[in-house]
Amino acid sequence: MIVAEQLTKRFGDKTAVSNVSFTVQAGKVTGFLGPNGAGKSTTMRMIVGLDRPTSGTVTVGGQHYSHLRSPLTEVGVLLDAKAVHTGRSARNHLRAMAATHGIGRARVDEVIELTGIQSVAGKRAGKFSLGMGQRLGIAAALLGDPRTLILDEPVNGLDPEGVRWVRQFVRHLASEGRTVLLSSHLMSEMAQTADHVIVLGRGQVLADAELSELVRAWTTNNVIVRSPRLSELVAALSGPDVTVTASSPGVAEVSGVTAASVGDLAASLGIPVHELTSRTGSLEDAYLALTGDAVEYTSKEIA
Amino acid sequence: MTALAPATRSEADARTASPYRLSFAHLLRSESIKITTLRSTWWSLGITAALSIGISMMIASASAQFGGGYPAVSAILSPTQFTMLVAGILGAIVITGEYSTGMIRSTLTAEPRRGAVVVAKAVVVGVLIALTTVVTYAVAIAATAPFLAEGIDWSEPAQSIVPLALGVLSMVVFTLIGLGFGFLLRNGAGAIAVTVGVLFVLPIVFSLFGMFGESWSWIADLAKYLPMNAAAEVTAPGADDLAVPLLTLAAWGVLPLAGGWAVLRGRDA
Repeated sequence: MIVAEQLTKRFGDKTAVSNVSFTVQAGKVTGFLGPNGAGKSTTMRMIVGLDRPTSGTVTVGGQHYSHLRSPLTEVGVLLDAKAVHTGRSARNHLRAMAATHGIGRARVDEVIELTGIQSVAGKRAGKFSLGMGQRLGIAAALLGDPRTLILDEPVNGLDPEGVRWVRQFVRHLASEGRTVLLSSHLMSEMAQTADHVIVLGRGQVLADAELSELVRAWTTNNVIVRSPRLSELVAALSGPDVTVTASSPGVAEVSGVTAASVGDLAASLGIPVHELTSRTGSLEDAYLALTGDAVEYTSKEIA
Repeated sequence: MTALAPATRSEADARTASPYRLSFAHLLRSESIKITTLRSTWWSLGITAALSIGISMMIASASAQFGGGYPAVSAILSPTQFTMLVAGILGAIVITGEYSTGMIRSTLTAEPRRGAVVVAKAVVVGVLIALTTVVTYAVAIAATAPFLAEGIDWSEPAQSIVPLALGVLSMVVFTLIGLGFGFLLRNGAGAIAVTVGVLFVLPIVFSLFGMFGESWSWIADLAKYLPMNAAAEVTAPGADDLAVPLLTLAAWGVLPLAGGWAVLRGRDA
């Protein structure tokens, strides 16, 4: 369990993280979302004691990271793939990391195999591709078989097989009762991986909720109806909460009603329906709705 | 990435089951793996040894012309004024290499007590340079023997083992100076520049003041508190009063490192 209380970090005049409080629970995968510069990485660095909070505290398993007696067995951390000396081979990097806790060669070989980097383990880490570097970083995080995993953008640069592996692996770890906190920009990936989501924007917590709850609260459900007698059907649908937008001739997007009620209505009026699709909002929709104002680096809309 | 972890265990089990513990002995082991698995280490040590042995042999073969009374042990120790630079640079890159590559973040997450990291690095790099220097001296003694009219007089400690041992100590101090500035500055080029400046350039600058006449001579006198000058004093054959230069060396070995520790402790990594 990770508990952050009123965590604040300022770099000069710039406040990277402002009064952030949250709890990351064991037995779940918690997703850390937010636009670039929202303070995700800074928060993760404060959790593992690399950055000192300007104020506030954060503990892992009830203790400050710097007070842990065997940090690698408590917390496995991947902050960025570039926390490796480029001149050292992957295996030697892992051996050196393992040695700090008296972890033997057998476990080093195990994590090498687990992350699929056997063929490049003897190569210097500086020659690694982004994906291989990422796998090496994950291997290092797993060395101590930790109870808590903190992974910053773990699937960044991974191939589809690697992305799926990370998803299944973290879900498996959470099912064992471990605490998993991971950040990602891939919304579809996060939607499949996380149980719980914490959204940061401009250094503040914008949302902290179960994934399904978040999506429900921040998106609307639509029904897409295709019918040759659309105008009659739409006219019959009108109600106070119902909005209808026509997307193309013969197709309407209706919100505020369920697909079932549209179907029932059409049947009772004898109107043929060629398509009736219920569309629920995605995590991406919810995320964009939430962070709309909190995006620090906005891209220009292409006309 | 094919198989999932085989073992299934609860959080409580994981808490008690792990036999792994962070300790200073483990940290020393980790740092020695780190230092011996980088090519730059072996290049530095190789250059130190080759320079030292080569220059010793040149001095020894030229010593016939120096006239009688040239202490044989000086042929072994004289190369120090060149090899000290390599030692200082090795000390600096041991830590600045971690900053430039980001490795320092892995180091500090594995051992969050930052003081322990400073001490472990100092011990490991210090021991490594000491061993290298001992081996280098041994080879140099054997290699110069044929050229020397009079070999080292081992019955006279002040002409043999004492200056040699203090030569090893001096090399350790030079290395720790580099390491200390590396921790202080975090940047390879900067740390190397300052280390070379302190070891090599300042003695020259200070000695120039000796030529400016009486009123500047106090600056020239201060030069004896520089690491190279202190090392030259303690390694001079037959030197007696060693207390001041030894303390000077000890201070140079400790103070930059202490400064580096203070910086590491306070700053974000």
